[in-house]
Amino acid sequence: MSATTTRVQEHIGDPVSDKPQVSRPQLEEIFKDIQADLRYDHELHGCLNCGICTATCPAAHYYDFSPREIVQLLWTENLEGIYDAMQEKIWACAQCYTCAARCPFGNSPGGLIMLMRETAIKHEMESAKSVLRPFSRVMLKLVSTGNQLAPDMINAEHFPDWGPNISKIDAPLKLLRKAIPMPTLNTTATAWEVNLKTSVELYTIWEETGVLKQLEGIDRNLFDVIADFMDEKREDWKDFLADQEDQKDD
Amino acid sequence: MTTIKSDSAGDPMSAERFTGHGAEWRDAKLSPHDAGIATSWVEQKIDRRSMLTGKDRVEDVRDAMWQLEKEGEIVVHRVSDEHQPVMVKTLYGWDKKIPTQRLWHHKSCGQCGNIPGYPASLLWLMNKLDVEYLDETDQTSCTAWNYHGSGIGNLESLAAVFLRNFHQAYVAARAQGLPDSYYYPLVHCGTSFGNYKEVRGYLIHSATLRERVRAILGKLGRLVDGKLLIPEEVVHYSEWLHVMRERINAMREIDCSEIRATIHPACHVYKMVPEDAIYDDSILGGNRLAVSTGIMQALGTQVIDYRTWYDCCGFGFRHIISEREFTRSFAIDRKIRVAVEEAHADVMIGHDTGCITTLDKNQWIAKAAGKPVELAVLADCQFAALVCGAHPYKIVQSHWHASPTEHLMEKLGIDWQAKKAEFVAYLEEVKAGKQENLYDPRRMITSGPGFKPMPAAIPVANRP
Repeated sequence: MSATTTRVQEHIGDPVSDKPQVSRPQLEEIFKDIQADLRYDHELHGCLNCGICTATCPAAHYYDFSPREIVQLLWTENLEGIYDAMQEKIWACAQCYTCAARCPFGNSPGGLIMLMRETAIKHEMESAKSVLRPFSRVMLKLVSTGNQLAPDMINAEHFPDWGPNISKIDAPLKLLRKAIPMPTLNTTATAWEVNLKTSVELYTIWEETGVLKQLEGIDRNLFDVIADFMDEKREDWKDFLADQEDQKDD
Repeated sequence: MTTIKSDSAGDPMSAERFTGHGAEWRDAKLSPHDAGIATSWVEQKIDRRSMLTGKDRVEDVRDAMWQLEKEGEIVVHRVSDEHQPVMVKTLYGWDKKIPTQRLWHHKSCGQCGNIPGYPASLLWLMNKLDVEYLDETDQTSCTAWNYHGSGIGNLESLAAVFLRNFHQAYVAARAQGLPDSYYYPLVHCGTSFGNYKEVRGYLIHSATLRERVRAILGKLGRLVDGKLLIPEEVVHYSEWLHVMRERINAMREIDCSEIRATIHPACHVYKMVPEDAIYDDSILGGNRLAVSTGIMQALGTQVIDYRTWYDCCGFGFRHIISEREFTRSFAIDRKIRVAVEEAHADVMIGHDTGCITTLDKNQWIAKAAGKPVELAVLADCQFAALVCGAHPYKIVQSHWHASPTEHLMEKLGIDWQAKKAEFVAYLEEVKAGKQENLYDPRRMITSGPGFKPMPAAIPVANRP
């Protein structure tokens, strides 16, 4: 046997062979869920494998990831390959949309990745759970307050690689925040002070759009914490409205 | 396809194998210099605006938007004469109206949480230019940072958040006894800007999506005459800065002619919905996004083009939180090092939350990898405020920047040590409750707990 043949055989195989079999109906269901999104046809028009997307992709520099491959898997409806890509590769994408800006076909590989990530979450895939575990602190903040990032999250304990200059002036965080000349920003637990009504409205959006269900499937503990937080804020809002009514009556 | 053979015995990778080249292929054996010359035309072609414009399937979504309004399906929040719009040209030469007055600040969670001098500098410039605005608490972030990072969220949630926030901008002036549509939303974050434009497009094209979110917005009491409210233009603060650049330069107090500036354009500002991004033939030949470059040129700096201009910063949404080795490698190798070694830059200027954070915070760790690199990183509005006389610590809040802004300030002739000492002394006043604000704090709450109705908007001239 020639060296060439041996080399090829080593690189071809079933990448999920050491894992439990995934049934054909399950693979079809996953693909249907990706396709069912309103955006699917907008993001995928065709592909001639030109590779411009991959050539310009930042994640392709550092990961075993190629937006061209993702588009090809979807375009050729390669169900096993799609499932395989959802185990790790889709999480490498940096979501910069350089691929979308450059694709001669007007595809959006970055946009397609989002549909695959949402589907990975819907199917409660282990890959999604493990990738999102370190993200839970951020999700807690975002879902409960509507702010993704808060000043008290930026500290040396969580960002040691950012060096000693998280603030070049040594003073308590609360004081430094008070010295920002925008009163909405004199906060430490949220990026800005959030109106109580705003939070309550946001919770309705999360419930009505299925976001809380997504969270419950991925991280039950996080969901429970957020549910408690929401209950508390809603109670505060009810109390406020009751006070208003009382004042009117008086 | 052809095969090649190597003389290297024992190395399987050097043995006979397929190359993927045609049979006629021969290695030209060019020197790196000659190879660079031979392929330079490729960079000229692919690195330019033609890469964005040479495609089909382009439409102006605003045409469909006006049609929907005509059919009674939506209400459009207009950029009216009272917003004193300035017209600009976008990628295909289409007009875009940029409001310059009566602005509702739609803040960025990353800026406010991490780089507070970014929005503070913008508001300071607006005060200097007598621009009327509202900075209030009734808003959420766009939630798109989380969505792009985690996949938690969906098109409906993004659309509902977009419409809720923009509806609040529409009605916010009621708290001051002023009519609806008085303020026009100005989006601070690049990702919010890209996300909102993308979502607006889907809303305009999909009756199904409109129906779903109409039900949600109805529950929230966020419809106008029972209809969804869609903004005529989605406007980024960098676009406001761009159209105000000559007026801002007229306030400049510091000579910037010796400053070599590199621009990092934000992907979500011009790669998402690229047809809505501003280009100007007089700014780098119209081959580069006009915002940020325009203001830096107007202020008299030398804007230096560089080969990785088109690259993203490495933020990655998820990566900046939980896979920072990718983020910092990309930021250092593809952006900061190129700006320092190729462009000999004094500063990297950005116009987005994630980019500024990434490029600013990831320089320190490079020392550990034996790749020390240093470059000041600021937002365009921070630089503009700085050279117009804003205090580097009270307003520009440069102490939150990890990168060495001090070198830049020295080159601008700013005695940063004296200014820092002033700020440290000022902190004592803040402790005593005597902090200075850019606007009357009573205006920031427009409903709910803490709201106190105000008789009318405070005239600009009487603002603190």
